[in-house]
Amino acid sequence: MNKTIFGRYMMLAVKNLRRRPVRTGLTVAGVGLAVTVAVSLGGFMLGYSSAIDKSINMLGFQVMIMAKGCPYEAATMMLKGGTGLLYLPADTYDKVRGDAEIDTITPIFVGVAQKQGSSIRDDGGGNNFSIISGIDVPSYRVMKPWINFKKGPGYEGGRWFAAEARDEVVLGFEAAEYEQRKVGDTFYASITPAGKTDAVMHEFKVAGVLDRTGTQDDGTVFMPIDVAREYFGRPDQLTILGIKLKQFNGFKMREFEARWLKLPEVQVVGLQQVKNTLVNLVATAQTMVAAVAAIAVIVALIGVINTILMSVYERTSEIGIMKALGARRGSIFQLIWLETVMVCLAGGLTGSAAAIVGSGLVERAIKSLADLGLSGSVVRITPGVVGYAVMGAVVLGFFGGLYPAWRASSMRPVDAINRGA
Amino acid sequence: MSEIVIEARGLKRYYHRGSETVKALDGVDVSIRAGEIVAILGPSGSGKTTLINLLSCLDAPTGGELFVGGRSVAGLSEEQLVEVRRGVIGFVFQQFALLPTLTVTENVELPLMFLERKVDSRRTLEILDRVGLRDRASHLPRELSGGQMQRVAIARALMADPKILVADEPTGNLDSATGQSIIELFQRLVREQGLAIILTTHNSAFGYEADRVITLQDGKIVSEESTGKNASRTTGASPHLQASTGGPDCAPPAHPQNSCSAELVCDVPGANAGQEYR
Repeated sequence: MNKTIFGRYMMLAVKNLRRRPVRTGLTVAGVGLAVTVAVSLGGFMLGYSSAIDKSINMLGFQVMIMAKGCPYEAATMMLKGGTGLLYLPADTYDKVRGDAEIDTITPIFVGVAQKQGSSIRDDGGGNNFSIISGIDVPSYRVMKPWINFKKGPGYEGGRWFAAEARDEVVLGFEAAEYEQRKVGDTFYASITPAGKTDAVMHEFKVAGVLDRTGTQDDGTVFMPIDVAREYFGRPDQLTILGIKLKQFNGFKMREFEARWLKLPEVQVVGLQQVKNTLVNLVATAQTMVAAVAAIAVIVALIGVINTILMSVYERTSEIGIMKALGARRGSIFQLIWLETVMVCLAGGLTGSAAAIVGSGLVERAIKSLADLGLSGSVVRITPGVVGYAVMGAVVLGFFGGLYPAWRASSMRPVDAINRGA
Repeated sequence: MSEIVIEARGLKRYYHRGSETVKALDGVDVSIRAGEIVAILGPSGSGKTTLINLLSCLDAPTGGELFVGGRSVAGLSEEQLVEVRRGVIGFVFQQFALLPTLTVTENVELPLMFLERKVDSRRTLEILDRVGLRDRASHLPRELSGGQMQRVAIARALMADPKILVADEPTGNLDSATGQSIIELFQRLVREQGLAIILTTHNSAFGYEADRVITLQDGKIVSEESTGKNASRTTGASPHLQASTGGPDCAPPAHPQNSCSAELVCDVPGANAGQEYR
């Protein structure tokens, strides 16, 4: 029976709101806009965080040793693959590899090669250069066991190059797609050795094409580490050492870091540190967007209160009549409160729907504004995010409805009837 | 003699406007019995609406005693007054006061929601039938004439099964023919259901269709007359009603002045004797 009565209150609330469709619509739109911003922001925070997690986990190692420099650059370099490159002495590898805490270690040399008919730009943008990654295949494969060669016509017989092969490369999935290369095809790269001004054209055979990994490896051209160092004129240098520890925790990490920070020109960067650095990169922007979202929510709340108050004042006489018909204070409070919650619920649902529909647009906008170097989606709107947003909108309605509902329920019937007459 | 459902003694309603005290009602004695129609007449500002608001527990008196259904209501809070009038007093207003977005049926069933009672569609139709609006059940108020809207308001008031019907200027927004039909409906409701009806009107012709006429001036009763209609209602004839169809300007026939002045509680002979106040 109570359910039926609640249903009747709902029906009455809906009909009251439909009485002024434009005003109700605008109020719902106001709440919806705030919810859209909040959901998009929540989706971005979640998506960005999980994209970082994924990208970092797919690096395969927990700790990196790299040349001293800006930790932001270090972090983005590993994810974007090769801007602002700094190098460390190659003998660092020999010094560190004997550490008893190390499970696996792999040296990586990263360089940028000019493609045919283009000029190198060291700003990380454009498609005129190829990222060359010189690797030690056995240790690299241990570090990234999920890497496989692409199958299918044109990709048969894909394999890694020999350590000493000077004219073989393995292409990442996207690099091969972009260059339209298959196994056995020729690949050209112009490399300017360090200290030289003229580029040297190198011709390679494509030994294999890797399957998609969803990481920076997809856009990379791999070659033997020693060959890469020679071509780039840096035979005694490395870009990073990727390390997997036998036991990885904060304590072990600090111990390891303390041990190796004594080396000059070296910084030890933990995976968690990279993650934090990348999160911090956008934290300020996220805070600003969150502040905008909070302001939007406050404005929407004021709009809702204003709308419902106006509606209450317009219906003063009706409220008096309802009281005369037997409505208690609680009945009127419930009705007005319900109307407010319904406006906010409708705003929450439409705002969430708009955020879901527009998530692709937001994703493109974010990526065009800031190249985060992350693979996969950076805006991830989950049912949880939507649930929280809708719940937040309803809570907004609960609070926003308190004052108008109190005002309406406090009216003396005789005053209300006379005032509205 | 029917039971007294409302009794007021020395009823006062004073307002303070700055340093001035406005005596909207100043010591009124009145009783209303089940099965009678009492009309309150008087010029604007005489205290008609104030009196009706007090008698119907919409407002609280500032002095005197007031009993509704035998219960003293003086000094009760607004919430307590709601409890007194819930399901006991039905209201009909000059402006009809229908909710424009609700259909006739929904408007009529509205009080049940507030009284937390189940909707009985058969009863709704029966009441709509009684006011002659069964065929308008699914219409919106804007699709109805003034008279039909007032009938919906009456049906709404009846839905809660009240013992007292309070009508403030129920014919004020209607033409005389339609107003007359509303008065006839009231008379039928009294005859069939034993309701007590209190109405205010500017139209003395309609007023004298009631069983008693109370005339107010400056917040005081200046006359109280028994019209004898209750007795004639049982025969179904109403000579004055026929005479009053000429409109609000029709002069009422001569009435014995102040017939009840010495005894505020008049006996109501005839119909509905023995109706129990529930």
